Amino acid sequence: MSAALPIDQGTSRDNSSPPLLELRGICKAFPGVKVLDDVSFAVWPGEVHMLLGENGAGKSSLMKVLCGAYGADAGEFFHHGEKVAITSSADAKRLGIAVIFQEFSLVPYLDISQNIFLGREPKGRIPGTIDRRKLYRDARQVLENIGFDIDPTVIVAKLGVAQQQMVEIAKAVSQNARILVMDEPTAALSDRETELLFGLIRRLKADGVAIVYISHRMAEVFALGDRISVLRDGRRVGEVDPARTTPDELVRMMVGRSVDMTYPRTFATAPGKKVLEVKGLSAATGISDIDLVVREGEIVGLCGLVGSGRTEVARAIFGADPASAGRIVFDGREKNGGPDEAARLGVALIPENRKSEGLALMRSVGDNLVLSALGKLFPSGLFEPRRARRVSDDLIAKLRIVTPSARQTVAFLSGGNQQKVVIGKWLAAGARLFIFDEPTRGIDVGAKAEIVALIDRLVAGGAAALMISSEQAEICHVCDRAYVMREGRIAGELARAELTEENIVRLGMHHG
Amino acid sequence: MAEVAPAISANPLLRLPGVAIVLALLVVAFAIAAPGFLSRTNISNVLVQSTLLLLLSLPMTLVIMTEGLDLSMGAVLTLTSIIVAIVSLDTGSMPLGLLAAIGVGTVFGLANGYLVAGLNIPPFVATLGTLGVAQGLALIASDGQSVVGVPRSVSEVYLAAPFGVPLPIIIGLFAYLAFHGLLYHTRFGTYIFALGGNREALTYAGLSPSRLLIAVYAVSGAMAGVAGLLMTARMNAGHPTAGLGLEFDAIAAVAVGGTSFERGNGWLLGTALGVLAVGVLRNGLNLLALPSSIQVASVGALVIIAMFFDGLRSRP
Repeated sequence: MSAALPIDQGTSRDNSSPPLLELRGICKAFPGVKVLDDVSFAVWPGEVHMLLGENGAGKSSLMKVLCGAYGADAGEFFHHGEKVAITSSADAKRLGIAVIFQEFSLVPYLDISQNIFLGREPKGRIPGTIDRRKLYRDARQVLENIGFDIDPTVIVAKLGVAQQQMVEIAKAVSQNARILVMDEPTAALSDRETELLFGLIRRLKADGVAIVYISHRMAEVFALGDRISVLRDGRRVGEVDPARTTPDELVRMMVGRSVDMTYPRTFATAPGKKVLEVKGLSAATGISDIDLVVREGEIVGLCGLVGSGRTEVARAIFGADPASAGRIVFDGREKNGGPDEAARLGVALIPENRKSEGLALMRSVGDNLVLSALGKLFPSGLFEPRRARRVSDDLIAKLRIVTPSARQTVAFLSGGNQQKVVIGKWLAAGARLFIFDEPTRGIDVGAKAEIVALIDRLVAGGAAALMISSEQAEICHVCDRAYVMREGRIAGELARAELTEENIVRLGMHHG
Repeated sequence: MAEVAPAISANPLLRLPGVAIVLALLVVAFAIAAPGFLSRTNISNVLVQSTLLLLLSLPMTLVIMTEGLDLSMGAVLTLTSIIVAIVSLDTGSMPLGLLAAIGVGTVFGLANGYLVAGLNIPPFVATLGTLGVAQGLALIASDGQSVVGVPRSVSEVYLAAPFGVPLPIIIGLFAYLAFHGLLYHTRFGTYIFALGGNREALTYAGLSPSRLLIAVYAVSGAMAGVAGLLMTARMNAGHPTAGLGLEFDAIAAVAVGGTSFERGNGWLLGTALGVLAVGVLRNGLNLLALPSSIQVASVGALVIIAMFFDGLRSRP
């Protein structure tokens, strides 16, 4: 930190007036998780309040509380210093709060004007009709006010993402929104479009609009923010003035989540044989030029923010999405085909959404365990129940799957045990490379440790694992090495010794 | 310019897609192959005969724009047609018959809407159910027989020609204009685009998607009632299988007309052209004295061809 400034620019308005909106002690819990824990937060007119935090820190939940989509379990709201309640989106609207979600709320086959005034169309002379001339005149006025130069009769389906976002903002502004909440508005924008958006935000600020801005990009945090709040584990860990902080300090505030992991792992000392080598892999799903290596006996982490392309890399390696460029070499042999080839070669993909992608939920544990190995177990094409039973009983014992019997329906197992069934399924098929997408998401602490222990046993037995996780602490705890992704590319590789949460966050975010 | 025909345009007239081309091709083909096709009487015939289908296809467009479907239309039309016959027979009044038909049609529409919007039953299943109910009621009401001897005031609806223009053509034109106004110039019409395009947007705007959806199905039912009058007028009787399979032609006309089954992308003028394409096709094949089985197959083929064009256009 450099020398302290005599006048604190970002917070100079504090004393002159009460905040436009203030939240005090907001709590919100879902069964098993506390997503917001005693969060307090305030915005003043004409300022941009940046909201920063890792995946799952509580930013989206806070946003949903602000717009009335979630009712808070505890806490108070103050509007211009007066106590108010926000329990529905109508409440939020009345207070002038408008949220611009990443999923737009626009109707594709209506034009820009109709979208801006949806539900508030100027009435025509005949009841039920719309005064179209006034509609377009008003829309033109709104668009002019925010400096968006476009024909208001253009159908929204024809607009690009950035333009749609501008329409969303126009819609919010036309409703006299005084508090605008934006969720990563630049995530899908080009540099030029970002500049346009920033120009608009500055203009709104000058008009006294308060803006709550969620971001993952350091550059814009410092370019736009008048005040920065950092969230971690559902708590607000601090509020800082951008003029007095540094990216490094922010990163330090963001990391340090509580670690739920207690399983001690012995890390690979001598690197084994290369099981997977990916060179210059690109795919239409938004990943480009991916290079990575996974060796025998290793658990390699693949981290980065949600949406940075981790799952897409996994799918491209597995062949679920076609690659547009690059090579995938598995056990020294080039792999070109789709998922069937991957399964035959011994690549297993254990998807994040195991309920819909990894398991036949209404079938038995035994059926699921042999599902991927049917061709291998029964080359004649005839199903032999006794053989299948033997294989599945064996796996149930080996993986310590807690189930009354192989005949139990998978849907009735706990999350952790379902995860083990997915792993067992691939083990039966003879997989050598296991790609895990968020293997410990949604399962409780004890089961998490067990899953990690299981992955460890797999690699100790000569397999290799690539593990996607949003929990940096878990990656640091479990992995031998890790790749960090950012915007569809590998931003860097971290060796065991460099594997810290700070380094992961630093690589995963836009810096400077 | 016809060659610059974007898939989507602010001005629906500029969207000259497959349906216009298909219609033009059909007209040219039959003009060459079927003598008398272009005669004044035959053209008038095509238009008169198309009216009934238009009355069903216009509301069907709205229903499909909500990502829904109304399979019960043909059966409800059959039922309302019989009701027109019975009521006008008993009272001697055509308007009373029409009123009763619209009433019964609306009840079925409201029921469809409630099943779809209130109980969340997929439109396909919900309206398949009401199709059965309506057809069954039609058989009960008519005792399985044609209801004959309807008053002349009813058949006049089909036969009258004020100022030399057949009344059905005037009715069709009026219905088109009414639906055009409804869809493009009222709030309700605007919300229909949103029902298929983004229901959440309606909720955010403080509107009730369920109520709007029920209203759309109610309009659909009411129009089946209006069409019931025209059907009875045309057949000079109420017949218990009169509307059999008409929903198929209506869906075909909407599909041919370029309304997509997703995201609320509808086009009313396209539906009118689609109705004409179906009408011209059936009429032309009739003139060529081809059996009706070929007509059914060719309407099916028309849908597939139009879908093919639709697929080509929506590709990036």
